[in-house]
Amino acid sequence: MNASPLLEVKDLSVEVGGHDVLKSISLDIPTGELHVLMGANGSGKSTLGLALAGHPQFHVTAGSATLGGKDLLALPPEKRAQAGLFLSFQAPPEIPGVRNAVFVRTALNAVREARGETPLDGFDFLKSARGQSAELGLPKAMLNRPVNDGFSGGERKRNELLQLALLKPRLAILDEIDSGLDVDGVRAVTKLVANLRSQGMSFLIISHYLQMIEALEPDAVHRLDEGRIAEQGGLALAERIAETGYAREAPATAEA
Amino acid sequence: MNATNEAGLPIMAARERLAVMGWIPPRSEYFHHVPPPAADVWLGEAEGAASAAAPAADARDGWQLDIADDASRARVDVQWLDAADPAQRKTLFSDTRAPGDSHQDRFVWAHRALCQHGLRLQVGSGHAAAADAAAAPVRLALHRSALARVEAPTLIVDVAPGTQCVLMETHDSGSVDALAQNLQIHVRVGRGARMQHLRVVTPQADSRMAHQIHVDVAGHGRYDQILIGNGSSYHQQRTELTLDSADAQAYTGAALCISGQNTLDQQVEALHGAERTLSDMQTLMLGSGRARGAVNIMTRMGRGVRDARTVQMMRGIPTGGGQPRITLRPHMEICHDAVEAEHGATWGSLPEDALFYARQRGLSEQTARALIVQGMLRAQLAHVLDDDMDLIALLGLEQYLETAVATHLAAETRKAGAAA
Repeated sequence: MNASPLLEVKDLSVEVGGHDVLKSISLDIPTGELHVLMGANGSGKSTLGLALAGHPQFHVTAGSATLGGKDLLALPPEKRAQAGLFLSFQAPPEIPGVRNAVFVRTALNAVREARGETPLDGFDFLKSARGQSAELGLPKAMLNRPVNDGFSGGERKRNELLQLALLKPRLAILDEIDSGLDVDGVRAVTKLVANLRSQGMSFLIISHYLQMIEALEPDAVHRLDEGRIAEQGGLALAERIAETGYAREAPATAEA
Repeated sequence: MNATNEAGLPIMAARERLAVMGWIPPRSEYFHHVPPPAADVWLGEAEGAASAAAPAADARDGWQLDIADDASRARVDVQWLDAADPAQRKTLFSDTRAPGDSHQDRFVWAHRALCQHGLRLQVGSGHAAAADAAAAPVRLALHRSALARVEAPTLIVDVAPGTQCVLMETHDSGSVDALAQNLQIHVRVGRGARMQHLRVVTPQADSRMAHQIHVDVAGHGRYDQILIGNGSSYHQQRTELTLDSADAQAYTGAALCISGQNTLDQQVEALHGAERTLSDMQTLMLGSGRARGAVNIMTRMGRGVRDARTVQMMRGIPTGGGQPRITLRPHMEICHDAVEAEHGATWGSLPEDALFYARQRGLSEQTARALIVQGMLRAQLAHVLDDDMDLIALLGLEQYLETAVATHLAAETRKAGAAA
């Protein structure tokens, strides 16, 4: 495994709606590694993903973030995506009237163009998309439906995975990808992630679900608490959190 | 529709009648948000337009009719009529409602005073009518290219009982600058028939357009209208839906774009006169720059219209810089208790979450906006076509939507560039 850091986040602070949500976060993810980010609700996990992706309501107030040496924070959202950053949304929005296949193909060709690759024609795209949909358990009909319009929670997540599989980014941030998925869906996640990871893709997985985390065999686990990385470790940290929860006892004080 | 002798009034009589009534006053309920140009513009009497209404050289008066296939051709009777000839004029306007003295009917009077030619289509007519109920839809494409600077074309469409008809109607200004066009369309949908009326009206910026569509739907009949349109110097789209027979239905969906200093005034009026009638009228208007738009949707339900239903939905969305003014006005007059009525008028913005989502997938902001705007418009139209997005593609509406959105967003970009 190549150990050079693909994602380097240094002392990143982020403000949302006048509140400091992330406070001096530092995190490195080398190429091909899979890191897990855990933390209680409101600890800032989703904020990290959205801030790195360039959401306009998440303002970086200090620090830096690079992807493959490229300054992410200087780029608009689409350039970050074209540089290889993919964020799966916790609640993917609907885009009424836009066929899923058209949306994904347009996105794929925008990314391919940025990479200097030739655009995929409709026939090749559909062949590839249908094959991948079948792998993920997403009905083919969903390609013809408007993006996420009328999709169940699980279908939306599978649709995120479909985009991940087709776009093949360098780093994927999967924000609670398991929520809303059934057992088969979670199995599809672990299979896809293992496959993409073997091709050199890096991952930051935001999840509370130990069984999936174990199956993903993470290289590192980080616990976020009130906007700061409170702990780092391996799978054992995830197992301990699953057993004891996020609330940590205050350090014992010596009594006189 | 009530046939009266007045429907086919000779040109001079119509002109005199209009002179007596006067033009639309500035504070008119329907028209004051987007006031129309004065009567002389529509009568060809405005300065510089004295010879504008010269007789059209083409007996077909600028219409080009394409009938999709031989089977459809056998089921359509086509009449090109000369309104200057008293007998043909009488035929042209037979069975059409005579105009009254309402403000909106002033356009009908102005039309009668100028109209020189008309086209009548009888769909599902003759010996084939009996078999029409089981037959495939009759598919027609009608394109109008303006011929004169001031013109008053007429189109009459009769859809025979049980017949399915798809009519695609498109327009261009030809080589005419500052066009003033007062188009009157009369549609009759027979018992159990269905007409899908797809209209694309995207005039040049300097055009003055007034299109009025008068629709009568018989029992168990259904009329669907979808409209793609943009603003111009003056642009009025008015549709009157008369549902006087039980179980008659009418749906309208409009995707409208206004930019720059253009205007667009859409008026839809549903008149329910029988039980279990249904009207569903939805409009999405996108605006930018200093454009002015108005959407007036009116439902009138008379006594005894038990279990009638009406839906009015209108949305206005600013899509770029500037301060467009879009006025959304729902109206309802209901004189029966056992009916359902639903209405909504919202002023919103483009969905920021969808915009960010698309950009996160690698689409430029411009592409993402175009995709989302086009999707919103498409969804608006698909509703009328039973959410059948395939039908939109099949009917070739995609290219019109793409062009309308590209033109609209380009106008914003030009404006922003000029401001910078």
